[in-house]
Order: sequence, then structure tokens, then C-alpha cells
Amino acid sequence: MEVVKFLEKGPGLALFLGFMVAVLGVVIFLIRRSSKKEYTARIVFPVIFMEIAFVFLIILMGFKKGSANTVGPAVVPLLWIIGIFAFSIILIVKVLLGHEEKDPEWGNIRVAVTYIIFTVLYLIIMQYLGYYIATVLFLIGGMYYLTYRNWKVMISLTAGWLVFSYLAFYKLLYVPLPQGKLISWIFG
Amino acid sequence: MDLLSNLVTGFGYLAGVQPAVAIVVGVILGILAGAMPGLSPSMGVALLVPFTYKLSPQISLILLGSIYIAANYGGSITAVTINTPGTPSAVVTSFDGYPLTKMGKPGVGLGTSLIASTVGGIIGTIILIFFSVPLARLAVKLHPAEYFALAIFGLATVASLGGKNWAKAFIAAMLGLLINTIGIDPISGVQRFTFGNYKLFDGFALVPALIGLFALSEVFSRMEEYKLEKGVVAKFEKANWPKFMDYWKLKFTILRSSILGTLIGIFPGAGATIAAFLSYDVAKKSSKHPETFGKGNPEGVAAAEAANSSSVGGALVPLLALGIPGSATTAVLIGALMIHDVNPGPLLFVERPDIVYSLFAALLVANAVMLVLGLWGSKLWIKVTIIPKKVLLPSILAISIIGSFAVHYSIFDVASCIGFGIAGWLLKKHGYPAAPIVLGMVLGKLAETNFRRAVLMGGYSVFITRPVSIILLLLAVASFAVPLMQNRKNSSE
Repeated sequence: MEVVKFLEKGPGLALFLGFMVAVLGVVIFLIRRSSKKEYTARIVFPVIFMEIAFVFLIILMGFKKGSANTVGPAVVPLLWIIGIFAFSIILIVKVLLGHEEKDPEWGNIRVAVTYIIFTVLYLIIMQYLGYYIATVLFLIGGMYYLTYRNWKVMISLTAGWLVFSYLAFYKLLYVPLPQGKLISWIFG
Repeated sequence: MDLLSNLVTGFGYLAGVQPAVAIVVGVILGILAGAMPGLSPSMGVALLVPFTYKLSPQISLILLGSIYIAANYGGSITAVTINTPGTPSAVVTSFDGYPLTKMGKPGVGLGTSLIASTVGGIIGTIILIFFSVPLARLAVKLHPAEYFALAIFGLATVASLGGKNWAKAFIAAMLGLLINTIGIDPISGVQRFTFGNYKLFDGFALVPALIGLFALSEVFSRMEEYKLEKGVVAKFEKANWPKFMDYWKLKFTILRSSILGTLIGIFPGAGATIAAFLSYDVAKKSSKHPETFGKGNPEGVAAAEAANSSSVGGALVPLLALGIPGSATTAVLIGALMIHDVNPGPLLFVERPDIVYSLFAALLVANAVMLVLGLWGSKLWIKVTIIPKKVLLPSILAISIIGSFAVHYSIFDVASCIGFGIAGWLLKKHGYPAAPIVLGMVLGKLAETNFRRAVLMGGYSVFITRPVSIILLLLAVASFAVPLMQNRKNSSE
């Protein structure tokens, strides 16, 4: 149980997850060198699910057991974990038997990944510069990146959204939109 | 006869200016609250409670009831036009509503959702009016084993949601169920899979998860398909609203889903989302063209919308007849009633029939008002789909971010929304549907808590010794097996 306690948080968890990533790396390496390399994602996804289920299974071992005629906190998650293992194995077998299609082609992955980075940056900037400044940067920057150049629309849409956010969320619904640590520090 | 004369009195009460204004304002606010991701019907109702302090109990309840009715419809607008369900139950509407928009038929999706919502809302209210007392008594007599069986029946719909990708759909459902176990165990109080992070004590919030899985994942998919050229969500010459005969063809789907939605709405804790999922599944199984579900079949939109709107009438059954709130929104409504010294329960029908029957009449009228406002507004909402993608996609992201933040005022929720968005995009790309994850997250708690309560009360055999439980479990097995066998048959052919 001490081992489970070590693995469920902090450095132990980081080590555990690192090990899982390494195992995944080895699996990908082996698939890429095999005849099933066009099915890499078809196999990798079930492997990831089994790894997630395995992490949960290890942590679950630390839960207390239920007494007679009671169902402990580990029983139901264990059922779902078994389900994930079972269906993941079915999927891998389907790939090996040739019942699955090849991996889909990636499209314009650069735009999608860039936009994900934009969204994460938006969230980070929001905490330092506040919701309003971050939203101006995100909306105008986002449209500009997608090659939209009608500045009248860009500015009026951004301004309209900010006014709506302020009135509907901040004023009417009392949603405390982030003020921004930097802005609070500068303006008090 | 008492019932009918009380109902006539209820309609008579609506003849004044104040009730009429309350209904119209309630419907408008309800549609807006429903359409805005992150604002649930319960939040819409809760936000208006402080404004009802100075109003009479009747007007307060009419206003809040109208919001509740309209919010369930409002969720479908953004689900159909931009694949961003405004409410959890509208997730099911998006399965066929958004493909219709992508096919250049947003009018069909919006028109069908409006008519199905209106008819479903009216049928739910009629069932509420005539059967509230006996149905409520039946619902509270159900054993946890039967609630567990109901949840399993709901989960079995995954088999037909997944189609030929049934194994992937089941993994997605299992992941949703496993995600649902994160947080403090509701029965033993043990921390489960929180990784020592207090933000996970309550688990992942449902609304940010579904915004991520549906709205953000769709935006990322669109970005991946993106070519730096002009593009809109849908191209269409004109709106193509359905004709009367198109709606008429959906009559059985709407009727069946409305009755099912109302019945499921009565079960405390079940609610609009489960009603929509189950009705969609039943509609798909009884359709002549089940293969077109998920690809833009108006039957799918009608089933989901009729069910989630009719579940409002169902949810009001235990509230009014027994004083038991079966959903978050009815819990807010019970609070609003108590503020006005009105105690819901069997005596309410005897002591304050004026309040009960004016509410019943108002719900019927609110549905009609929703139809009028919906028809008028749809011409406006449809324009969302012709906004250039370069403007629309960043705007959807901005709406999603504020929507997920507004649920608990939490940056963690926004981060989890982005995480679910990335996961949803990758999963969808590789054929794993997002809907079963949401279904797992919705049904997980209902299934687990009732399973454990049932075992505590009657041991493991309780599931097969109670007739309702065994019938529901057998239905679940059939619901699981039939689509799989059909798939097998189709692939062998």
C-alpha cells in the first residue's frame, strides 16, 4: 500500500506517468517497424486507454474494501477498468485480424495545433492581463491568423463581444471574470 | 370535472397583462439562457429568482416555468447551427442537427427542433396535468435497483450510437464512466483518483466537458480541414424550412419521444439528457432508415428535442405532487416557491389550486409563445451559419471559454474544457464518438450510487428479484444485442 500511496501523487505520480509514456514510446517504435505501421494510431489509442486504466487500477488498490453486503469505493471503477481493458483488446485484435481500416490522413495539422496553442496562451494571458485584454488579443489575433482582414468587422465583433461579456456575465450574472494578476498589481 | 374547471380558471388568470408579460419575458430569457453554452436551464431559472421577490407566487412561477420550458429548446439552436450544444440534453440534438446544417439544410434542423420542442412540451404538460399525482406516487416507490437498471438501460444505447464502431463507442462510454468516478466517493467519502489535487474533489464538471467534447473538438477539426480560403459553415441558397408534410411524417417519432421523455423526466435524477439519449435510440431502432441517423436525419432531431422538452412536464410531476425536486432546475423552483411561502406537495392541489392550475395553463401558453418567437427568431439564428469560418471559429472558442468559466468561475474548468476539446478532436478523428463519453458521465453517478444502495438494501440478488428491475435489465440486454446483431448481419451481407 505504501507503494500505491507513493505512486498516486507528486514525484511518484510523475515517475509512474513517465514510465507509461516510455512504454507507449516503445510500442510506437515497434509498430512503426512492423508490417502494421499504417495502423499505428489504431493500435496506439487502445494502448493509451489500457495505460490510463492501468494507472487507475494501481491507485484503486489503495482504496478501502467494503464490508459484507456493502459495495466498496473500488468496485464500480474496477468494473469500468475491466471494460476498458476488454474493449481495447477487442480493438487491437480487430486490427491484427485486418478488420480495421488504415489510419486516417492528417489534414492541415499546423493550423489546428497553432490554434490549440493560441487557446492555451489565451488562458494563460487571461490570468495575468485579465479577461478583456486577453480576449481582444485572442479574437483579433485569431481572425488575423486565419487571414481575415476586414478590420471593421474584427474590431466591432471584438468590441461587441466584450460589451456583451461585461453586461451579461459580469454585471447581470455576477461572474467574476478574471481581472489579471498583472493588472491588479499595477492598478491595485 | 374539478380538474377541467380549475384549468379553465387557470387560463382565465392568464388573461391579465402581468402573466402575459411574464410568459413572453420568460420564454425570451429561457431561449437565450439555453442557447448560451455554460448557462443551464437551472442557472437561467436561478438567476431570475431574486427578481421574483416582489412578484406574486403565481407570476413568479409562471415566469420561472416559462424560462424552464424555453431553455430546453434554446439549447438546440447552437447545437444545430454551430455544433455547440447550449444545454447537456442538446448534445443529442447535435447528432443530426449539425450534419443537416453541414448539408446546407439548417432550416430543416431548426424547424424540426422547434416543432418537436413545442409539441413535446405540450404533451409533457398534458401528462403533467392529468396524471401528476398517480405518476409521482409510482416514481417514488421505485427501488434503487430499478434506478440502476434504468441507468444500465440508458448505457445500452451506446451499442446503437456506435454503429459499426461499437467497440470504440463502448470504450468511450467506459472512459466517461471512469471519469465520473473521479472525486470524493458520494457514499464512503473516500478520495478517488484525485491525484492529491483538491480541484478534482468534485470531479470534472459536466458542462465544460461537453463544451470541450463537442464545440472545441469541432473547431479543432475544422481548423485541421482548414484551407486559407473563404468558407462558411454551410452553403445554401435559401433556408429550406420544412413543409407541413415534413413535420407530419415525424408525428409518431415526436409522440413516442414526448411520452418517453415525460416518463423519464418523472424519475428523480434522470432528467432531460437521459430522456434525449433514450428517445434517440428508440427512434433509431424503429426507423426505416437507421443508417441515416447521425448523418442528418430529421427524425433524430425530433426525437431528441421532443424528449428533452417533454421531460420538463415530467420533472414537475414529483415537484408539484410530492414536493420532491427531481432535477437541479426543479430544486431551484422549489426554493422559489418556498420564498413565497408556498409548499409543494399533495396539499398544494387542495390549498392553492390557483397556483397549480395557472402554472399548468402558463406552460401550455409558453409553448405556443415559444413556437411564435422561435419561428421569428429562426430566420435570425440561421444567419449564424453564413458567418465566414474565419470569424466564426475564433468566436466559438471565445464563447466556449467564457461558458466553461461561468459554471464554477474556475480556470481549472476552462483548462479541462480545452483538454476535453483536444481529446475529443483526436478521438473523433480516429472514429471514437464523443457522445458515449457524455452519456457515461451523465449516467455514471446514477448507476453507481443506486447499485451500491441496492446491494446495501437487498444484496446482489435484488436486481433479479424485483420485476421492474429485471424487465429494464432485459430491455438493456436486448438494446445492447440487437444493434450488434444487425451490424453483424449487415457486414456479412
